[in-house]
Formats: sequence, C-alpha cells, structure tokens
Amino acid sequence: MNRISIVCAALFGAAGLLIGPSIAQEIKQDAKSASGEAKVSPVTQAQLSAADKNATNFLLTNVNYAQTRFHPARQIGRDNVKNLHVAWIFQTDVKESLETSPIVVDGVMFVTTSFSHVYALDAKTGAQLWHYNHKMGPVTTFCCGPNNRGVQVLGDLVYLATLDAKLVALNAKTGDVVWKTDIADPELGYSETMAPTVIKDKVLIGTNGGEYGIRGFVKAYDAKTGKLLWTFNTIPENSVGVWATKDATGRDMHRDIQAEKAQLAKTGDPYQKLGGGVWQNPSVDLATNRIYFVVGNPSPDLDGSNRPGDNLYTDSLVSLDLDTGKYVCHFQYIAHDLWDLDAVSPTVLVDVKGKDGKTIPGVIHAGKTGHIYVHDRKDCSLVRFSEAMVPQENMWVLPTKEGARMLPGANGGVEWSPIATDPSQELAYAINLHQPMTYRVENSPYPNGKLWLGGAFTAIPGEKQSGNITAVNYNTGKIKWQVKTPEPMIGGILATAGGLVFTGEGNGKFAAYNSSNGKELWSFRAGAGVNAPPSTYMVGGKQYVVVGAGGNTQVNFRRGNNIIAFTLD
Amino acid sequence: MRGKLGWLNPGVVIVGVLLGAGATPAVAQGVAEKAEVCAGCHGQDGKPVDKTIPVIWGQQLGYIYIQLRDFKRADRKSGIMQPIVSSLEKDDMLALAEYFSKKPWPDLGQPRSPKDVAERALSADRSVGCTGCHLDQFQGDGTVPRLAGQSREYLTKTIADFRTRARGNNPGMSDLMLATPPDDLAALEEFLSGL
Repeated sequence: MNRISIVCAALFGAAGLLIGPSIAQEIKQDAKSASGEAKVSPVTQAQLSAADKNATNFLLTNVNYAQTRFHPARQIGRDNVKNLHVAWIFQTDVKESLETSPIVVDGVMFVTTSFSHVYALDAKTGAQLWHYNHKMGPVTTFCCGPNNRGVQVLGDLVYLATLDAKLVALNAKTGDVVWKTDIADPELGYSETMAPTVIKDKVLIGTNGGEYGIRGFVKAYDAKTGKLLWTFNTIPENSVGVWATKDATGRDMHRDIQAEKAQLAKTGDPYQKLGGGVWQNPSVDLATNRIYFVVGNPSPDLDGSNRPGDNLYTDSLVSLDLDTGKYVCHFQYIAHDLWDLDAVSPTVLVDVKGKDGKTIPGVIHAGKTGHIYVHDRKDCSLVRFSEAMVPQENMWVLPTKEGARMLPGANGGVEWSPIATDPSQELAYAINLHQPMTYRVENSPYPNGKLWLGGAFTAIPGEKQSGNITAVNYNTGKIKWQVKTPEPMIGGILATAGGLVFTGEGNGKFAAYNSSNGKELWSFRAGAGVNAPPSTYMVGGKQYVVVGAGGNTQVNFRRGNNIIAFTLD
Repeated sequence: MRGKLGWLNPGVVIVGVLLGAGATPAVAQGVAEKAEVCAGCHGQDGKPVDKTIPVIWGQQLGYIYIQLRDFKRADRKSGIMQPIVSSLEKDDMLALAEYFSKKPWPDLGQPRSPKDVAERALSADRSVGCTGCHLDQFQGDGTVPRLAGQSREYLTKTIADFRTRARGNNPGMSDLMLATPPDDLAALEEFLSGL
C-alpha cells in the first residue's frame, strides 16, 4: 500500500459511516439482466488456434495459446498514441478489485468482475448486452480478493470459473446457464479466480487454495457437457524430490535436510494438504500437444517443519500432455519454499536461444523472485535466468519468530500479473512490486480448510514501496530498459505491433510506452487503480484499447467499477 | 466466552441445555423459532446484551455458518455455544446463518476513533493486510466477517484469544495477530468499532 491508498482508505472509511454498508463491494444484486442479445458467431477452434494472427479480435486471455500478450493490431502506434482518448466507459455493478482480461469476439466484449459477474458488452459503444450475476454459494474461501480474471469462449459457450469453485458454461448470446459443475469443495479452501482455458473441446482449470492446505490440481472438462475428463494433482504422492539445497539461481536456501528427513520418517509424505494452487492459465504448444503452467506455494506458506522434502511440484514449472493430463516434465524454482515466493505469472512460449546459442522452442516465466526464467520446452530444463528486476536482500534467510527482513517481499517481484513479449525484439515486459517485508514463522496443525499461513509476512512500516516496468532480453537475461513507478505494480501488460506496451498503476495511471526504450508516450488517469491486464481489438475499422479500473484488494489500491475503452479519432 | 459464564442470562443457559439434550429436535423448528435462542445473548434487537458478545445481525452468511460448524466440531471452544449447536445439522446452521445475515446491522453507538488512532490502525492494516480478506471498508464477504462497527470489547477479546490460540479455529488469524504489535491492535479495535 502507499500514501494515496491510505488517504483513500481513510476517506472511504469516513464515507462508510455516513452512507452505511450499501456502498460496500456489491452496489446492487440484480438477477441476470439482458438489455439485448449478443450477436456473436460461434468461435471455432481454428480461430482460437490462429489467434496470434488475428488483429481484429482478442480471443484468449493472453492473446494466443503461447500467451505472448503480443497483439498484431498496429493502427495505434508510436506516432499517434498521443491522440488516444476515451471511447466509452462501462460501469459494472461491483465496486471491488478488477483483474479481468476482456475477451472480444467480432465486436462483442466479455468482461468479469469480483464475485464472478460476467457482462457482454457492445465493444464499439460499451452498451450492455447481458449480465450474468452468479448466485454465490454460502461458503467462499479465498485469498487475495474475490477476484475474477475473465472468461474464454468456444463455440457458442462462454466459460466462467467462480469464487465458490464452480465451472459454468453460459450461452454466449443470452448469458443463460447451459451447464454448471462443481470443481472442488470451497469448505476445504478451494476457490476459483482464474480464467479457464478452452482448447480442443476441453476446458482447463486450476485452483486457488495454497493458503488453506488444499491439494492443488489442473482439471480438464468436456467443453460441451461439463464432464470431468482428467485430473492432474499438482502434488504427487511422492512429493519429497531430490533434497535440493539451492534455488534455481544457485543460492543456498539454508535447509536442515537431516531434520527434514527425521520428520519424514516420523510423519510421512505430507502430499495431501500440501497446497500447490494453479492461479493462471496454462500456455498450449499446439505442435506438441503439451501444456505448460506454474504451480504455487506449499501449505502452510512459511512453516516447513511439518512438510519435509522438496514439496513437489510447488513453486515449479510443469508440463503435461493435453489429451491425457499425464506428466511430461517439471522444473522447481524453490524447493521447500518458506517465503511464498512462488510461481504465479502465466508461462509464455517463445523461441529462445539455447545454451549453445541455437534457437530452440522455449518457455519463460516471470517469478516473484524478480527473475525471468527461460526454459527448454522439450524437458523444462533451465536455460538461463535474467538479472533481478527488483532489489534482493538477505535471500534466503529463514523466517523467525521475531521476523526476518528479506527482499523481495512475499508479493514479489512479479505477482500473478501476466507478462508480455515482443519476439521481434527478443524482449519480455514485466511489471514488478517492491515491498520490503519481514517473514515470521509460527506452527499450527492443519485447520480444516482455514487460513494456514504458518506465520506472517508483513510490510515494514516506514520503508518505501515502489514498482517498475522492466523490459528484459530473454536471450541474454539483461535488462534493456526499466521505468520506475511510485507504487508496486500488479495487473498485467500488453504489447502491440504498433511498437507499444500498455500497463496501469494502482494510483489510476494508465499509460502507453515505446516498447523499444520505455519512453512514456501517453497517459490517462482513471480515478481508481488500473490493476488489470489490458486488451486491444478492432471494430468498425478502428483499433481500441480496453482495461479495467477497479483497484486491487491484495495491495489495497483504490477501488472502482469501470471498464474503459480508448480509441483514436 | 467461558470467562463470562458468571454473567450470563440464566434463561439462555437453560435453553442451551434443553437444545443440547435434544428436547426439541432442532430440525423440526422454524428458523425464526430457533433464532430465539440466540436473542438471549446476541440481543432481541441485534445489540448483544454483553459487550464481549459479537454482533451477528447483518454478519456474513458464510462466516456465521462456519462458526456454528466449528462450535459443533469443537474447533472453536465455547461452553455456551457448543451445547446450543450440538443438535444442529448443516441445513439448520445454514438457515440460521441466512436468517441473521439478512437482519440489519445494529448501530452500537460506538464513537469514531480520533485521527491519530485511525492513522495508526490504517498503518497496521497496510503492514498486515487486513483488507486483503476483510475487504474495502472492512465489510467482509463469504466466510470472512464484517469488522466495521463490531463491538469493541468483543474485538478486543477475540483478538486476544487469537493471540493466545484460545480461539483456535483460525490459526492464520492467530499468526497475523501475533505479528501485529499490541498497540496497533488496540488502535485497530478502536478504529473498527467506530466505523
């Protein structure tokens, strides 16, 4: 948090007294309301598979299955972006954290809000076509806000995963529910905030819950019926691993291997309550039929005393066969994590230079540690890691009862925020947080689906927080440019063929930068935190850029309820 | 709560004993009738009859349900609540939770905190991240309780119970409360109760 958000919190607190709870998160709770019908043609798999070449639509959460967040639209470029202005603003019914990636299909936009609402909008005017207000079950157990990061569309269905851990298929034209299925039991700590991934008649979904002692998974459902096809448990029954003592960058993690082995002999493998959530979409390699995703932290976050071993596959890159869900390979960044510096930001598939300088299919991930990791797609092995994008200090000091200072803080580095890439420049663009924290450890038994942190990570009062936008050459690991921001960055970034990157800040600033040198070319003040990934699309021959301005729960940025689209005259 | 047994309205204890003994099957009762038991302590008008007893009118549905469940499981200990909930099934608990969640939150008339206290409370929030779960304006949602306007004495007691783990049904909260300096917690209690 920051100075501005304190003031905002104080103001909202005062307003709360005068106005009462009616201005709380949900402004109103309508049933499904339809202002019209969405005239949208069924989305084919061929369209989705070719999304990387589609300058008109924004079909997948991160533009394409490779998740490059590089969009081919180029009407808005470095020379004219200064003329960008608001085309329309749509106000949702929910004033709470907005993390949605707007999906656009032939002039129809689908956006989501906190508490799992979905809206279909006219992408040209912002007019509402329909609104799905999910009837939430009584039990929701979620970490980091009641967020939702979006939908995906296949055929004539829109797919949504909800805070109460259900998978819902909606009629794309009307917003009516076609089928609904339970993913997991929210009473045990499961919830959903990620967008599903649709691919080859399947809907892929991970889970939240690493702060609640779940056993994480990725599941595949039949897109037409909602029938479960396969489940991959992110925690294998043998989660012990190789007793790694160093992290991916070679730093000692100060593990007491003998003590862990003694604990293992005493209590056995802890796989059943070991966490391992999957917060973001997998990338899909259409050529090899494999998916790549990262797995989050072990449970409890800061106390490793009752979870001996490497805690596979927490804090790891994992690849599976798409058809069967069978394991292909993994790479663990931090074994036996005690800091919640896990792996959250979605993976990206790009060609990279291998260790011998030859071009190979690669997969990259931006970590909470502040490094961008580059892997060989064939076997998940690490090729290189980038320079640190944020200050690092005292890694990996063990958490103590009194609190041990270490940087980065537990939000990163790069949080769930998707990165963007521009393969023509060999650059990856990441937004980062800098939040000095202390790490404390406490011990308590598994609490039946309740918050289970094993301690606390707390921001150090008085220490300045900040953020940055960083461009990294993923073939050298060197930082090419970096723009400092006054507040920690969380939300996402988009690169376009117009030579631009777009991203927002918690103070409401939304800006475009020259993707080659980081020079700011345009900005806008949204009045609420811009903490969502932007999208872009064409309609009526004009390019638009759209982003949610709803603030953020996790870092407590000023809340709002606006979806804002920009265009040129 | 155990420490307050001496104060308690004897009628409430009697009702609790009756329910605990299964004199009237809870499932057969209407929810409003069942809720009468609760009014003895939590108040006929939503204002608890003792300040160390929490406001449940207008509280989040999921939170009330989970607390009832935890009292029944003895994950949350209370000599008063455990006998009362012992005969309740999940549907009873959900019905009661829904019933109370739809009641208006009562105004306890607690004073706004002075500016310096509010600033200290918000600084503590910034460090620990209370609003990360309790949400903007501390209204809660789902299984996370509303804190704004809760009884100050109850907040003080339950935070202290988290710190000693006497309240053992949310170790994550215990960890966070242990990581927060007592002076900051006092500021939070005063600030939240005055919202």
